[in-house]
Amino acid sequence: MVDELLFFMEVLVGGLLAGTMYSLVALGFVLIFKASATFNFSQGAMVFFSVLAFCGFMQDFNIPFVLAFILAALLMVVVGLCTERLVLRPLMNASEDTVLMATIGLGYVLEGLAQAAWGVEVRRLDLGIGDFPVPWIADNLKLFISALDITAGLVAAIMIIGLFLLFKYTKIGLGLRAVADDAGAASSIGIPLKHIMLLVWSAAGVVALVAGCMWGARAGVQFALVDLALKALPVLIIGGFSSIPGAIIGGLIIGAVEKVLEVYIGPFFGGAIEGWAPYVLAIFFLLYRPEGLFGEKIIRRV
Amino acid sequence: MSNNSANILDIKNIEVRYDNVILALHDVSLKVPKGKVVALLGANGAGKSTTLKAVSTMLASERGKVTNGSIEYDGNAIDKQTPSQMVGLGMVQVLEGRRCFGHLTVEENIISGAYSRKLSKGDINQELEKIYTYFIRLKERRKSQAAFTSGGEQQMIAVARAMMAKPKMLLLDEPTMGLAPQLVAEIFNIVKELNTKEGVSILLAEQNTNVALKNSDYGYIIETGRVMLDGTAESLLNDDKVKELYLGISKKGRKNFRDVLKEESLKKKSN
Repeated sequence: MVDELLFFMEVLVGGLLAGTMYSLVALGFVLIFKASATFNFSQGAMVFFSVLAFCGFMQDFNIPFVLAFILAALLMVVVGLCTERLVLRPLMNASEDTVLMATIGLGYVLEGLAQAAWGVEVRRLDLGIGDFPVPWIADNLKLFISALDITAGLVAAIMIIGLFLLFKYTKIGLGLRAVADDAGAASSIGIPLKHIMLLVWSAAGVVALVAGCMWGARAGVQFALVDLALKALPVLIIGGFSSIPGAIIGGLIIGAVEKVLEVYIGPFFGGAIEGWAPYVLAIFFLLYRPEGLFGEKIIRRV
Repeated sequence: MSNNSANILDIKNIEVRYDNVILALHDVSLKVPKGKVVALLGANGAGKSTTLKAVSTMLASERGKVTNGSIEYDGNAIDKQTPSQMVGLGMVQVLEGRRCFGHLTVEENIISGAYSRKLSKGDINQELEKIYTYFIRLKERRKSQAAFTSGGEQQMIAVARAMMAKPKMLLLDEPTMGLAPQLVAEIFNIVKELNTKEGVSILLAEQNTNVALKNSDYGYIIETGRVMLDGTAESLLNDDKVKELYLGISKKGRKNFRDVLKEESLKKKSN
């Protein structure tokens, strides 16, 4: 009995921590959704692009770890700058659907650029953190939990706190929330939309880099990262597209649910249900709570 | 650069098109003297909002363009400015329909108006307190989410937010739309106060002709994108045409539905 409970705990904790990896990817989507009211389909490509560049700096140019990370982050700021200037500004008056389509195109451009610059082979990314159980926890709590999962959890926690403080207490955060609510009104009182867009896309790029490092360390830096980012979709549907805590909680729920279902119900379906179980959950949310757990309800005065 | 001329805003024969095709303004000229309140009157679709947006340069975000004529603000031509540059120059528009940031609190809404100014936290609080002296009602509701405040309060938020940008000139687009008469009076009192105490020049677009003229120095009446009539507020209030068309008063005295119904019932009795 105790063994069974321990096993369940292990599955659950492992799932929750793996979920923070989804949360990290989902954070990038939320940032852009808040400011542009658009689902950024190129977020997956940004993850791939950023982490491949990071690996490229380290492995092809022998740049040390920290400097390579800073360079990759700066590169993402440049990507944000170019996106604002070349894609968003010309589409300023276009409908949200048009911007959505543009992000799909942007995704292809980034994928192509990344592979043209850094090659197509799978790269190994060693963060110095092993993807194996931490001995101390295994000995004392009898739980087998990966060090990488714990790191991802910590990184996600730091990022959510940082972003929360940024949104709630800084001037630029206030401007960003204002733009998210009503871009036209924000511009009428002198909030410069292009600065806000630039900031948001750069921040989303850096978040993508962090998420990419975590996923790259686990699964290798490869093209499949682009599709992995699609897992963020059920996370966002559950958590709410416009909520940062929602992205985190949604990621945790998806991570836990898919692992628990895989272990306990999976065998009845012949296994491998974690690939689609999150989407089933997402459909239920779409039917009964379309704004997600934490999404901003559409407030309308009657 | 400030100039010595008496007008803070000088619009000369502007023509405005949307999408390069739809002609919204044919020929509009108007002047706003420094420190005065000028009313821009007309029915729906007459071109009031378009005129204001031409001045605040917000036309561009709606695919509109000034295709002819010129606009001078504070002695300088407006052509290449962005809306945020105009705010920096002291020209702030309060958009039609209030447009508060619904998910932000009342106070956050007002503070957001100071975005273009470089103020310390202490300065912002000082400004905030000054603004609250005009909008006492908002101080009580400072922590509420703006979307849950009443229509009148939302209008006050929109004006207070604009005032935080420390404007030399305000463009108000139908501030009394959909408000009860008592609130209309309250809003106009505040606008008048801002005008006299803070010295803000005001261009006011309104459908509510009577109240607008009573609170203005000068008025322009536009129809289908053209200025039809202009004059001091007093002269417009006493103009027969204005009375008949915009104030619902004919030469024979007040005419409204009740009067018409009364006349009809009298006729029936005599039959």
